Amino acid sequence: MIVDAHVHIGKSTRLQIAADGEMLVRIADRIGFDKICCTDLTALFYDMHEGNRLLAGEMRKFPDRILGYASLHSTRFGQEAIEELDRCYHDYGMRGLKIYSTPEMSIAEPCTIPILEKCVELDIPILAHTTPQECEFLLGHVPGAKLIMAHAGSQPFARGDWNRAIMAAQRFPSLYLDTASSTIDTGFLETCVNTLGAERIIFGTDTPLLDPWPQLMKVRETKLTQDALALVMGGNILRLMGAAA
Amino acid sequence: MIYDVNAYIGKWPYWPVRSSSSAEVAGELTGWGIDRAAICSTRSIFVHWDDGNCEVEQAAKNAPDRFVAFATLGTLELSHQLPRRGYDFEAYAVRGFRGVRLFPHHHSYHPLYDGFVDTVLEDAAARRWPVLLPLRLIMNWGMPMLELAVIEALVERHPRVNWILSGINYLWELQLAVRLMRRIPSVNLETSCVMGYAAVEKLVEQCGAERLLFGSGAPIQHGAAALSKILHAAIDTNSKEQITSGTFRRLVGEI
Repeated sequence: MIVDAHVHIGKSTRLQIAADGEMLVRIADRIGFDKICCTDLTALFYDMHEGNRLLAGEMRKFPDRILGYASLHSTRFGQEAIEELDRCYHDYGMRGLKIYSTPEMSIAEPCTIPILEKCVELDIPILAHTTPQECEFLLGHVPGAKLIMAHAGSQPFARGDWNRAIMAAQRFPSLYLDTASSTIDTGFLETCVNTLGAERIIFGTDTPLLDPWPQLMKVRETKLTQDALALVMGGNILRLMGAAA
Repeated sequence: MIYDVNAYIGKWPYWPVRSSSSAEVAGELTGWGIDRAAICSTRSIFVHWDDGNCEVEQAAKNAPDRFVAFATLGTLELSHQLPRRGYDFEAYAVRGFRGVRLFPHHHSYHPLYDGFVDTVLEDAAARRWPVLLPLRLIMNWGMPMLELAVIEALVERHPRVNWILSGINYLWELQLAVRLMRRIPSVNLETSCVMGYAAVEKLVEQCGAERLLFGSGAPIQHGAAALSKILHAAIDTNSKEQITSGTFRRLVGEI
């Protein structure tokens, strides 16, 4: 069972993406992924209600293939964001939250805390486009949150520093690392697993921004045991989402 | 045969990398399905360019079927002394070097303002030696980067050079590479940092496979992951062969 835990659906001119469920399932079929966990780009960058509704529609078309993250374009919408999260969980069947963060609009601020607490209540993971420092702030306030650091530090705002991401994850047992990234450094995954354990690493590709093949190969073509790979490549995200294999 | 235009020997100063000697790197490349590689020593980047060239020369002499030597060139000026000599391309040719690599962002010179760059590029063009110019060393967002406008200006200043643009990832970076390749026939692109979805397919459609070269960034980057984007791209077999061997062999004068 291979699950890609980091996929984008919908439209974004900024990322030059226009992808629906059919296209993404076709890509998953071609590469051999059983399930894909999607976040809608409209929800992530513009209107959470519209985008999450669109994603729910795509999930209904591919109920065995697409798992959904609820997405919030900002954590500064207070009760409205909490209610949207509730709707995504109870009405749409989404089992995770995706939030973005930039240096200019960092989510490492008090208004994010009630949202994380809501995720703890719902027992869902948060895939957050955060730096290691932001993760430390968030988990310092809500240590029970199951936070997945998108790209494991290998993104522009985190200056590509996956070593620091591992150090942050050593301090917080509920911090998980996502493998999706332009970075394909040798030894990255082995270092993660040796330091944190295979249970803390989540396989993702960032399709269709990134080519999924290098993302798959940098994980599969490593010196990990089959058991460890099974966790990284699907077992962990299914466990966190409480989803059936 | 898979040819890799962008591999390294030597130590990596930022985090542990399991291979560094030429023998270790050769073994790693074999495991990833890469038969032959143009190499640069990281000593050339982080210590002194010509000391690293000596290591590359030796590695290529020891394993000529595995390694092709590219010379890293930097400024001859020192803190205490102006240059006392020029670059002897003939000597490099005799030592077995087949191409040039520049690392201005690691060698503290500006490629548009430091005169040695023009000299090197004119000599390289005269010899038809390819010149590899990296936007960044590997695809890591923490690495120093050249400005895209500087790359564009340098390439346009020297349109006769057989350029190999390197370290290009996606979006506007790739747009610059495509723009230059479409305007200047001697501009080529290596793929070590190209990570975008369907990027290889689009590049072949826009510029032709004969302008693309497989590069891995190995052993710092994962060679099999780097190669997979070519082998699994939705392009025909001839295009794959061109990218993984034909363009490389043409540029270094093997065919």
